[in-house]
Amino acid sequence: MSISTPGGPERRPTVVSTGKKPAAGRPAAVAKPGGGKSAGAPRQTSGGKGPRKPITPVKVSQGRSWGPIALFVAVGVLAVSIIGYGAYAAFQGSKSWEQRAADIDGIVDFRDKDPKLVQGGQHQQGAIKYDVLPPVAGPHNPAWQNCMGDVYDAPIANEHAVHSLEHGTVWITYRPDLPADQVSKLRSKTQGVEKVMLSPFEGLDKPISLQAWGYQLKVDNADDSRIDEFIKTLRVNASVEGPNANCGQGITATGTAPRDNVPQQQQQPTQ
Amino acid sequence: MTAPATTDTPPVEPSVTGSGDRRPAGRYGLLALAAAVVVGLLLGYAGGLLTPTLTRPGDSSAEAGFARDMTTHHAQAVEMGLIAFDRGTDPEVRQIGGDIATGQQGEIGTMQTWLRSWGLDPTGDQPRMAWMPDGTGKIENGLMPGMATPEEMAKLRVAQGRELDVLFLQMMIKHHLGGIHMIQGILDAGGDDDVLAVAQIMKNTQQTDLTNLQNALKRLGG
Repeated sequence: MSISTPGGPERRPTVVSTGKKPAAGRPAAVAKPGGGKSAGAPRQTSGGKGPRKPITPVKVSQGRSWGPIALFVAVGVLAVSIIGYGAYAAFQGSKSWEQRAADIDGIVDFRDKDPKLVQGGQHQQGAIKYDVLPPVAGPHNPAWQNCMGDVYDAPIANEHAVHSLEHGTVWITYRPDLPADQVSKLRSKTQGVEKVMLSPFEGLDKPISLQAWGYQLKVDNADDSRIDEFIKTLRVNASVEGPNANCGQGITATGTAPRDNVPQQQQQPTQ
Repeated sequence: MTAPATTDTPPVEPSVTGSGDRRPAGRYGLLALAAAVVVGLLLGYAGGLLTPTLTRPGDSSAEAGFARDMTTHHAQAVEMGLIAFDRGTDPEVRQIGGDIATGQQGEIGTMQTWLRSWGLDPTGDQPRMAWMPDGTGKIENGLMPGMATPEEMAKLRVAQGRELDVLFLQMMIKHHLGGIHMIQGILDAGGDDDVLAVAQIMKNTQQTDLTNLQNALKRLGG
């Protein structure tokens, strides 16, 4: 790093006479070469011509070795790009399921709309009136509807279904007049998938309505890609009780009247 | 004489320029060193931050596929096991039903925790069993190997007494055989050490279960 440009020693005297005082921090490096030369005196006058001086440093800077600088710049650019990519990847990967749910076009988020409804559901016997239909949250029957990929061919009780939602189920409902080929597409999204269940629902304003705890999405067609998006984003994730909530041992019967305190063996098979 | 004069006026200019030709060397050297240290630290930090993201199993990895599909497979075993535990007649059937239900539910928790720690959803984009060679072809009506059909489950739910015991044993034997096949799939595919270790334990457990289930079935004359 030491500079051995021809102009260096000549100018050093000026450094000695002037620089010594202000830069008391590092006198040694400056003082040594300057001390040996007595050519400082004549230079001082020229040194007095302040305005000219700024030209010389440019020369010196040319003496700087560009190699290390280029290396540092290269490493810096590399570092910035790696860090930048990392930040980008982290941002993309860190999108929570809630954020991704909000990105689904047409989804209704009752967690946002009616936080009280979505807090959790107390158990309640008998018929329960739900303001949102199909229901998306709220009090519910102590027994849940079996939600082990069950396909129900007749309407089921809201009171049991809401309990299934609480356990992380995506409940797919369709208007009874939905064409059979559309229903079979919904069936294939359900069968064999625990925490998904399918049933017809009377009085829907759209052909298909999907429910998860606190969320609803209505679509016109079983081919709508938002159905898979809804399931991927909300199945289990929307559970109030986490991924270990049970979906077996539930009510497997259909019928819209809730069943209170029914031991499992008394249920009639409906599938 | 002249010195006082020069030191009086030039100090401002020469000291700036004078220090400009030697001190920059030291100053820039120091700056460069500091910059290098900072860049090095940032690189190390970014590397440490990125490495787990880049090396952990991705959305279409065999590990993620196994965790999701085996969760589903296990969930049905839990449902069957609890039916046997709740309503079985034979003490061993009830005991083994409860054992399978609690054991596999625990494993579901482990697998779901993997997915969460990998930043993945419990539901994948890939079809079922796509992580196994020839896997998707083994799906029937959405059911993975060994899984009971809705009709079989409905039958088990209403069965009573010895009929239920025998039915449960038969269904669970089939279920375990399918499960072991899938576990072998992840053991063959390899990957995350913890996944492989847990998969090996699952396989050992289900193989031991299988012997006991088969012996119990013989004993009950099923």
